[in-house]
Amino acid sequence: MADNQGTALAPVEEFPGDVHWYDLPDDDADPEEADEPSDTRFRRILRKTRSLLGRSAAVALLLAIWEILPRTGIVDRVFLPPLSEVVGAGYDLIVSGELGEHVGASLGRSLAGFVLAIVTVIPLGLLIGWYQPVADFLTPLLELFRNTSAVALLPVFTLILGLGETAKITFVLYACAWPILLNTISGVKTVDPLLIKSARSMGLGPLRLFQKVILPAAVPTIFTGIRLAGAYSILVLLFAEMVGAKAGLGYLINAAQFNFRIPDMYAGILTISLLGLLFNQLLVTLERRFSTWRTT
Amino acid sequence: MNKITIRGVGKTFRVRGEGRPFAALSGIDLDVRAGEFLTLVGPSGCGKSTLLDLIAGLTAPTSGTLHLDGRPINGPGLDRGVVFQQYALFPWRTALGNIEFGLEAKAVPGKERAERARHFLELVGLGGFADRYPHELSGGMRQRVAIARSLAFDPEVLLMDEPFAALDAQTRESLQEELLSIWEKTGKTIVFITHGIDEAVYLGQRVAIMTSRPGRIKQIIDVAFDSRAGDLRAEPRFGEYRHHIWTLLRDEVAAARRDEVLSVG
Repeated sequence: MADNQGTALAPVEEFPGDVHWYDLPDDDADPEEADEPSDTRFRRILRKTRSLLGRSAAVALLLAIWEILPRTGIVDRVFLPPLSEVVGAGYDLIVSGELGEHVGASLGRSLAGFVLAIVTVIPLGLLIGWYQPVADFLTPLLELFRNTSAVALLPVFTLILGLGETAKITFVLYACAWPILLNTISGVKTVDPLLIKSARSMGLGPLRLFQKVILPAAVPTIFTGIRLAGAYSILVLLFAEMVGAKAGLGYLINAAQFNFRIPDMYAGILTISLLGLLFNQLLVTLERRFSTWRTT
Repeated sequence: MNKITIRGVGKTFRVRGEGRPFAALSGIDLDVRAGEFLTLVGPSGCGKSTLLDLIAGLTAPTSGTLHLDGRPINGPGLDRGVVFQQYALFPWRTALGNIEFGLEAKAVPGKERAERARHFLELVGLGGFADRYPHELSGGMRQRVAIARSLAFDPEVLLMDEPFAALDAQTRESLQEELLSIWEKTGKTIVFITHGIDEAVYLGQRVAIMTSRPGRIKQIIDVAFDSRAGDLRAEPRFGEYRHHIWTLLRDEVAAARRDEVLSVG
């Protein structure tokens, strides 16, 4: 954080102290695929399967260890049930419809907060990035808040907004706001001055300049913020759902732990991971579509 | 007939942390004739680009006046097109989209816009590259697109700021040739900044030589060849012009270097 002190709001790729389990390497780039076009179909499939296997080797290893350690008694299977038991518990939760209900509740909150953040924060970021007086006025406040962990503020949200949905969605919104805001500001501020000069030389006024140059130039950076916010929206929701919720994956994990339904708890955790992974992948795909023109 | 009239133009900048202002240009008098190709050479840091910015209306002079067709220049406009050394293409637009940009600024209706953009893309020999993004084009191709963009909205004056300086020698020569033929075809008034004496002599009907900082017009030389056909650079006249300008510039380059040493030390 020290390098950011005193300077304008820097673009934020990561928040310090977070675990980035969702930022797995991209799967699309497959250098082996490019050459040897005359290859047979069978060999191509074989190669693809092999590379897929190679990439998922670490995950497979982890899952195998998860299965073996409790079974051999090295780890107490009460606290860490074998993977097969967890999958079985997850299957039961799916069949009973319970898991679907929790996933639905969580996704609803995450998406609501996430979408609200996009809708409200991008305009704010554009304003701050474009109008220096607004930036001068708000930057100290923003610096203060962005260095305050969202999780630390959770009790405040609960105190003011109660235990209902409003507090949870607002909490997600708050956490999602930062990556979007900071990336939007930096997207606007880092537009190549030469492009602005070139557009100005063609007689564009401030408004058209903003619409035709600043905005399109900032889109990829803004989208990076959106992608990060997407990950946060699921990540932080769990905290909110552990306090005074009656449904949701956070509630499921917490309640299962209290009631000693340990396999259910692990099933909830796995679901969260998969959900986060899926959401991130979706946003990465979208991001790529919006920034085809951006090189390197 | 004069297209651009510049009288007593000076430009000073305030340098941050320094009390005294920094004079980039002072007392510039220059007439650019309608339809002529004027090249402007000078040592680096002599304010060539500043002068171009002033004509483009991107900045205002500290003193003096600039007129275009008798009207004072108050700001940028589509009657002047600027071509920058670093192309300044919009990376999110295709070659065609970039050319359309100026036409959108001019409020040309959609259908005509695409047609006109295509025409100018073909004029610079890139008919087959309409859908390429700038990062998919070579430096020379990018500069062609930039030139086409500036020509498409049909300005009366083309202002070019060392447009070929970043290109390799071969590409530069072929673009120079093409620019000349475009100039002959379109009859635009061109003000072309360069630090290459060869380029200045090859392209310009007149070459204006600037002094070192603060920039002034030192001398203007008429360049006339009997014929532009063949290898112009091999003609003895070419060498004479070249040498003459080189002599005029040498003192200025030396002065610029002294100035640099002084300001660093």
